Amino acid sequence: MDIGGLLKELLLEDKVMIHFDFMNGFFDINKSVVITWGVLVVLTLFILFLTSNMKVHNISRKQLVAEVIVEKLRGITYGMLGEEGLRYRDYMVAVLVFIGASNLVGLFGLTPPTFDLNVTAALSLMSIVLVEAAGIKKKGVRKWVKSFAEPMAVVAPMNVLELAIRPLSLCMRLFGNIIGATVIMELLKMAVPIIVPAAFSVYFDIFDGLIQAYVFVFLTSLYIKEAVE
Amino acid sequence: MLNISVMNIVYTVINLLILYVVFRVFLFKRVDAVMSERSREIDDSIISANKKEQEAEQLKEDYALKLQNADKECEEIVAKSRKDGYDEYDRIVNDAKNKAEQIIAEAKHNAQVEAQREKDAYVSELTDLVVHAANKIAVSKHDEETDKELYNKFIFEAIEKSE
Repeated sequence: MDIGGLLKELLLEDKVMIHFDFMNGFFDINKSVVITWGVLVVLTLFILFLTSNMKVHNISRKQLVAEVIVEKLRGITYGMLGEEGLRYRDYMVAVLVFIGASNLVGLFGLTPPTFDLNVTAALSLMSIVLVEAAGIKKKGVRKWVKSFAEPMAVVAPMNVLELAIRPLSLCMRLFGNIIGATVIMELLKMAVPIIVPAAFSVYFDIFDGLIQAYVFVFLTSLYIKEAVE
Repeated sequence: MLNISVMNIVYTVINLLILYVVFRVFLFKRVDAVMSERSREIDDSIISANKKEQEAEQLKEDYALKLQNADKECEEIVAKSRKDGYDEYDRIVNDAKNKAEQIIAEAKHNAQVEAQREKDAYVSELTDLVVHAANKIAVSKHDEETDKELYNKFIFEAIEKSE
């Protein structure tokens, strides 16, 4: 098995899907972004289907499904955020569903968007912006700046570093997990082409993908909770 | 794969924001609208149920009070009518007693009068008889035989009369 060759093939593959000539390809759109468009469209259509024709009484089965989904997802994020971070739970639900759905596209033979570092970087960038915005909104700029020197001034550089470390760890964790799973799956397909990859795919494509979505949202929620306390 | 492309990060951020807006507008807002409407209805019905319960309680008390009054009134009426009845009874009995006494008195009086009258009649008849007998004796020639006969006749007549 040529693992090195496999990694090279996976990592250095040209991911550009839509190429624009001007500015030396600065505006090129990656395949992962195109796939997230697909994810977006599917999710939007699904939501529109679920929430169309909502009624207060005599609800239909699909409305019941919609209500249960909303309750459950909000329950998950509310449990992580707590009372203080209540207002961020809807965003966390959106991220949870986005990462979960993105990781599940592997089931349809597509490359998960989270397999692209740019996507996970964007996600973690959003997370850190949200975390710090939540902190500023809660404490005010002055207190937020002061909070870097807590519990004592010595740790201030560490806290400042965390601004970069947290999103980086979020980004790399997600990316690394997905790439690891993909590499393992590729290797398995090389070693045992039938049956076994299908069984492992249940773990790597479904379970691991959802776990990673949960972990990402959980850590972001934890940071937000810490910031608004 | 490992190269960072700023524009792709921007694209993904935009995607995420769009997804967030879609979630908010089409999922959460719609579901929240239904849920808040539902909870509002539940609150309303709880409030109105409480109100109705209070009203019912009030009505119940009113009725209980009225019923109590009615009981009292009823007792009063019964007592009054019983008293009236007793009075009437007494009156009737007294009347009857008076009337009976009156009747008895009248009867006694009548009887006395009657007896007196009979006595008078008897006496007058006896007088007549004696006079008659005396006349007969006076006018007739009398011997021992006729005297005896006369006495007997007189006695028989008297007996006959007295019977």
